[in-house]
Order: sequence, then structure tokens, then C-alpha cells
Amino acid sequence: MGVPLYLQPRLEPSLTSLLDAGVFLHSLVDALGSPLNVLLPEQIAENTERFRAVYREHHLAGRVYFAHKANRSSALVRRLAAMDSAATGVDVASLGELRHALACGLTPDRVMATGPKDPEFLWLAARVGATVNLDSRGELDQLVEIVRKYGLSRVDVLLRLSAFESAASSEGVGVRLRSRRSRFGSPAREVSDLLSAVERYRDAVELTGVAYHLDTTAPAEKVRALECCVQVMDECRARGLAPRVVDIGGGFGVGYVADAGQWERYTSALTEAVLGTRPALTWRGHGYGLRNEGGTVRGTAALYPAYRPTAGPGYLDELLSLPTPSLGRPSATLLLEHLYDLYVEPGRALADQCGLSLALVLDVRRTGEVSGSGEYLVRLGMNAGDVSLEEHGVLVDPVLLPRTAAEGSDEESPVGVHLVGNLCLEADLITRRTVFLPRLPRIGDLLAFANTAGYAMDFHAHRAQRQPVARTVAVVREGGSWRWCLDEEYWPITHPGGALS
Amino acid sequence: MRYDSITEAIGNTPLVCIDPAVHGLRHIDLYAKLEMLNPFGSVKDRPAWNMARPLLEAAADGGETVVELSSGNTAKALALLAGMHGLRFKSVTNRMRVPEIKDLLLLLGAEIEELPGQSECLDPTDTDDPLTRFHQALSEPGSAYLHTDQYFNPRNTEAHAAGTGPEIVKDLNGRAPDWFIACVGTAGSSTGVVRVLREHDPEVRVLGLVAHKSDFIPGIRTIDEVHQVGLFDPATYDTIASVSSDEAIDGMMTLIRRCGLLSGPTGGAAYLGAVRHLRVVDAELTDAVPRKSAVFIVCDRAESYLSYVRQRRPELLGTPRRGHSATALTDAEVQAEAQVIGTDDARRWISGGDPRPLVVDLRGPHAYAALHIEGSVNIVDELFDELVRGGLPFSKRQPVLLACPVGEKSARYAALLTRMGHPDVRSLAGGIIAWRDADAPLVRE
Repeated sequence: MGVPLYLQPRLEPSLTSLLDAGVFLHSLVDALGSPLNVLLPEQIAENTERFRAVYREHHLAGRVYFAHKANRSSALVRRLAAMDSAATGVDVASLGELRHALACGLTPDRVMATGPKDPEFLWLAARVGATVNLDSRGELDQLVEIVRKYGLSRVDVLLRLSAFESAASSEGVGVRLRSRRSRFGSPAREVSDLLSAVERYRDAVELTGVAYHLDTTAPAEKVRALECCVQVMDECRARGLAPRVVDIGGGFGVGYVADAGQWERYTSALTEAVLGTRPALTWRGHGYGLRNEGGTVRGTAALYPAYRPTAGPGYLDELLSLPTPSLGRPSATLLLEHLYDLYVEPGRALADQCGLSLALVLDVRRTGEVSGSGEYLVRLGMNAGDVSLEEHGVLVDPVLLPRTAAEGSDEESPVGVHLVGNLCLEADLITRRTVFLPRLPRIGDLLAFANTAGYAMDFHAHRAQRQPVARTVAVVREGGSWRWCLDEEYWPITHPGGALS
Repeated sequence: MRYDSITEAIGNTPLVCIDPAVHGLRHIDLYAKLEMLNPFGSVKDRPAWNMARPLLEAAADGGETVVELSSGNTAKALALLAGMHGLRFKSVTNRMRVPEIKDLLLLLGAEIEELPGQSECLDPTDTDDPLTRFHQALSEPGSAYLHTDQYFNPRNTEAHAAGTGPEIVKDLNGRAPDWFIACVGTAGSSTGVVRVLREHDPEVRVLGLVAHKSDFIPGIRTIDEVHQVGLFDPATYDTIASVSSDEAIDGMMTLIRRCGLLSGPTGGAAYLGAVRHLRVVDAELTDAVPRKSAVFIVCDRAESYLSYVRQRRPELLGTPRRGHSATALTDAEVQAEAQVIGTDDARRWISGGDPRPLVVDLRGPHAYAALHIEGSVNIVDELFDELVRGGLPFSKRQPVLLACPVGEKSARYAALLTRMGHPDVRSLAGGIIAWRDADAPLVRE
């Protein structure tokens, strides 16, 4: 087999410590079943604080909003609700998320409604006084109609803009920076009409700022959008509007894999496997988007850059330090000297290290027709919907938690296995990647998928085949041990289990 | 020498022996093939001309655009060739990573199209990368693109098989060298040259150099990227080794400072990779065997890579500047020495001071134009920094109020100007933001 191609997860102290508590995690799964989601609410407070530190470094005011869609649970949102109300908030993208955020203790001034919205969502947001991040002109008209019809107070709104590529007149002659087209937001070049409408609707809405969210890892595209927003804000001021906020959305990223070398070796080996110069690294030779055409690799690997030296708050810092294309000042300086506040809506990056997903090993066998041959199949008490790392192109190893300590024999050595799910469906693979583990798992062991709280925990979970959906628990470290409660029982003031902290 | 067209000056580049005192090899003569002396400045002049020639001849109405995936030398050569033929040139690239090259391409009249970055919220079923879409656009009916396709076009390799390779053999008196060393970009030069060398001597050893995976050396691909190159054939190389950008700059500095060769980092990588590899072999050779020879390619020149060097090795570009500098002050010194004044007192000082202070707004001109304190002058911090480096920019009899967004930079400059002997410089505490938050008036231009 050669050197096992590990992709070991990046673990900060809290997750490391939790994974060391194997007996505790086994007892949770024994009681609550497999799969099981475990959340660390204290971590989201720490992550938020790191984003705040970047704000302070750049002297910027404004809120950090947690993009609720990254995780459905209550514990993370409730923990966030207990933080500084002037500096933190929650970004909700549905009626259900809005109700949940309010019920978790967020006051409406800390809630931002984003994404495309139905009338009920708009009404409740307007009724309670949340900020509405308007996706389109039509949505503005609809909101105004609701406000007028039901006699509601003026609603704070942000205008989400998009298509900065065609709006950019500021770039050097002959350079065209391409961006992927987005379904969301109003085209930046049509902003004048939108502002005229906002002026006419002054009785119903108050423009507090402009927003963008770009689905790209490239800072250059984001900095161009930020500068365009500053110019739009300028136009607002010229019209006598007084917006204060530039909202730059999220997409700051997470590093999933700890070691750059492992990531580089793995991706090189994947290329070689696609070329056929080494054995396949995936189920049925899947290439993750890479193809072999006559000995040349074509296509790009549809993989999340799992090793990222700069992610989350560090990425925000980098973005804020980059000069903008035509005004030339660093982004943060540009915002600051125009007296603007900054809003961000990280989802994945705020949920970084906030939890893990546990699955019980149900079966271990080989695919070969002759006994003792073929590839190892490890069947888990979960399916691909329960841990959707693969759905987001994230490749990272689970951590093996043995049921009983140190009963291993000498011949145990690293092994490559396929992780298959609990559905009666050929395609139900937890990952199409051959996963290398330090030893072959045994029935009753646990596999812990670390760092799943952002999008990979419950985003795609379903009830197909009446298989159980994972329960979610919140855990808090107390002294030397871990305490737990069900997610819905968690409140930031209580010790899990009862007394006030 | 007289030519009808500059394209006739492509090729026939010198082969220069490197002084053994520099490389330290005892039994091997090391030669540099100076492709940087081609008229457009690089090894890419040959394939660019060879690939473009038939397309340019066939271009009917002059409305076509030559297009290539290149962020460097191929783009440079093609832009010039397209211009000579009255056509446009477009370079498609992930990112132009060397700003001087970008500026140069714009100067040559190229259009540059930068592809979008990777998606953050990935859709794994969307495996159509931007390049696939680029190829679709090229093959649309009625497309007026002339695609030179350097990573797959056999005329890239041919240019070197017909030119670079035979020239090396001729200059070595009809013999192939024992080693040939090339950086792998499109693989065109190594594949073409090696084909010719092996015809003369099948024993020629070939070292291909790639960049470290997380690193960037202009014109060199990483080990994964070379597999995406249609012209790349692993059988061309006996050894593939990787070099770092740091090593490339080391090699480049040796060529520049000791050999009189104005090489860029790609040539530097080839030199360093060659010496690193050959040193091991050289140690095993004795005087008994005939002397060996090795040839490496100097791809292009140094001038376009000054920012690349500055980013990685600023010390090579001299010492920090002298003069008064606000950054030299510690936070404690700023706090102790800067005189600060709150918004209310500042307003009184501005309206009733005798003499009234000059208000200097240190923010950018765009922000200043949008909103500022009435009567203030705008000297953006970068410019102010230049001014104070040389001395006090205002009379000591003129009181000054400095303003910046939050009062941090202005305090720093107030401390510095005080040190420089100005008796009454004050910093607006909390800056323009505190001023606004106190509802003090701001005006627009």
C-alpha cells in the first residue's frame, strides 16, 4: 500500500479534547443512537471574538452575523445571542430561521433577513423590525406594499448588489476580471433605478447600506465589489440618503486538513490515479471532475481547498488589507475614511471547530468474491445525507474511536477502506474516496467526522428509508470532564443538567 | 545585420559557458542557452511565431483575435506578432501574478481576461471548469478567434526541434551535451530540444524542473499542473525535480551578479536546479574520463520581475529609506508626545483660535470629497508621509489640526511633527468618526 494517504483533520484544542473523551462519546451514541451530532457552543463565541479582533485591528465598527443556514441547531444561535448585542447578530434566510433566531433570544435589531423571501417572511421581519437585505427590485416593492398595507414602522433595508463585472468601468483598459454569475441580488449597473425607488418609498423603508455576497475564493473579485459598493454609497449620499453600512457577506472559508504536505501528496496522487500511473484512490475510479484524455489530465478537481493557510478571520483580514482596484486604498481604510460600518455574514467560518458527527461501525467486510480478497467496505450507522462533507467537496479523514482501549494486535496497520452508508442504495457512500485509517475498524467502534458544524451536519439530512435523523447534543467542558444536554435543552446560562452557571 | 522583419531575428541565440569558479563543477562544462536574447525577450518567441504564422497568414479580414492561455512570455510574443499583422490579441489567465507583466501586456495592446476564482460554496456536480467554457466559446460557429493552443499545439515543440535543439548541437561542435536541463512550462522547449539531442546521442540525460506545489515561479508548472499539458510526456525526462521560488531567486542572483547574465527567476531556477543535480554526479567523476557538458535554458530577463523579488527578498533591493518617519515611533511615544483635542474643543479652536488652525484631513481624496470638515485641506497620508520625511511642511507659526478616520494616524503624525520642532500640532481625538458621532457638521464637495 505504501505510505497511507492521510488527510487528517485540523483540530483546535476543544475538538482535540472532546475526541480524547472516547468513553464519553461512546456512551452518548449508546444512549442516543447513531448518527449523533455533537456541538461545542463555546467555540462559536470564540470564533466570533476572532472576527471581532479583525474589526478592532482595522478600527471598523459593525456587526458580525452568523449565517444560520450553516447549522439548524439551537445551541449555536443561543450561545451567540448571549454575546455583545452591538457587535453580533444572526443572518436568517427563511421564515423558520427568523422565528428560531427570535426565540433564541436575539432582538430584532440583531437579525438580518437575507436570500429570496416569501411574503410571510417579509411580514414577520418587517413586523418585528429586523433588517431586510433586499434581493431584488420586486422584493422591495413587495416589502413596501406590506409595510403600507399593514401600517408597519419603517424598515431598515440593505440592497444586495451583484454583477459587478459589467458594472466595473474603473479597471485598467484591456483587463477584464471575470466572475461567476449569481442568481441573487440586483445588477449593480441598475442601481440608479433602485435608489430612485428607495427615495420614493421613504415612508416605508430606510436605506441603511448596500451588500454583496460573491461565491468565490478570489479576493480580487470581492475587493472590486467592495469598491463598487463604496461608490454606490456615494451616490446615495448625493441623493440625500444616509446609509452607513457596507455588507460584504461571507465566504471566508475554513481549513479542514491540518497538514499542507498531506493535502499536496493526496491531490498529486489523485492526479496520478486519474492518469492510471497508480491504483485508484476512489470507489470505481471516480476522478472528482478530473478526466484522463489520452494521457493528459483535463477538467478541474471539484474539491474544496481543504488545506487553507489563510481562512476565516485571517481571510477577512487579508481582504481588508488589499488595495481596491481604482481608488487604490486598502479596503478597510476605504470603509473607515468614508465613515462606513462593516457587516459580515460568515457561516462556515463561524461554525469552524464547533462540532462533530459520530457514526457507529455496523459492518466490516471485503468486496472480493474469494474470501480475504478485495477492498474493505466499512458500513456506518449513517448515510451520506448525515455528514455532507462530500456534498461540499470537502475531503478529510474521520477519527477512529475504538470501543475498547488497547486490545489491538501487532499486525494491525494502516488500511484503506470505503465508507458506505446505511441506505439500500449503491450510491450511498459517505465519501467516494478511499479513506486511510490507522487500523481496520471493528464493529462497535465509532468514526468521528470532525468539524462538520458548518453545512456538513444537518444541511442535507433526510428521512429516506425511515432511517433515523441524527439527534444533536451540546457539550460543555467543566473542569476535567464533559457535560452534555440535548440541543433543544441548551441555554447559555445553564450548566447542561441544571444549575445556573 | 539587416532584416526585413523582426521575426527573422528570432532564434540563433548565444550559448555561453558559465565560469567554473562560479558553479564549482570540476568535470562538467556548464552552458547557458540565452533564449532571453530573442527579440521579444524570451524562449517563447520561437513557438509563438511558429504557432501563429499559419494562423496569421490564413486570417482573412483582419477582424480576428489571437487568443492564448498565457500570463507571461507567450502572451507577450503573440501580442507583438498580432499587432504586426493588424490583429488583436487576448490573453486568458487565472490571475496575472506579476504586475509588471500585466502592465507590459497592456502596453503591447493585449486584452487580458482573468477567470473567476474557485467557488467557495462548492457544487461538486459542476465539473465544467472555466477552461471548458473557454474552449466552448472558441469553437462556437462564427467565432473570430485564432487559438494558438500552446499546451497542445505540436508546432510549439517543432519550433524547438527545428531551432533551439540543432543550434545547441552546432555550438557544441556537432555533439549533444551529456545533460540537458529545462524548466517545464508548456514542455515545448524540453520536448523539442530533447528529440534532437537524443537523435545525436541517445545517452543524453534530461532533467525537468517543476515548481514546489504551493509555490510560484513564473513560467514553471507544478508537478500536478504538468499533467494537464498535452505536450508533456514523462518519457522525455530522466529525472523530474522541484525547485522553490527562493532557490530560483538565488540562481538568478548568481547569474546576474557573477555571470553578467540578466536572467529572470525561471533561468535562475534552471541554473540552480542544474548545479544542484550535477554536483552529485560531478563528485563521482574523475579526471580519467573525458570532460562532460551540460546545457540549461535562460528563459527570459530580470526586469519584469522586480516586484516578484521585492515581495520575496526585499533585502536584495536595498535598505529602508531615511528621513523622518511616523512608523518609527512606538505606541508609547505617540501617546506621550501627541497633543490631542476632542471634537468640542476642536470646533471652538477652529472658529475662535488666533491664529486659527489649519485643518489637515489625512484621508483619501474620494472620502474627503464625500464628506469633510469645512475649510480643511486634504493631504492623503501617503503624500503626507513623503512631505514630512523631508521636513516640516508648514511654518512653526501656523497651528495645525490633523484629522484621520479614528485619530490614530493623526496622533502619530502629531507626535512626529512635535518632535520635529513644531510648537502647536494637535490630533483630532477619535477622528472624523467621533466628529460625526458628535453631530458636528461635515460638508460635501
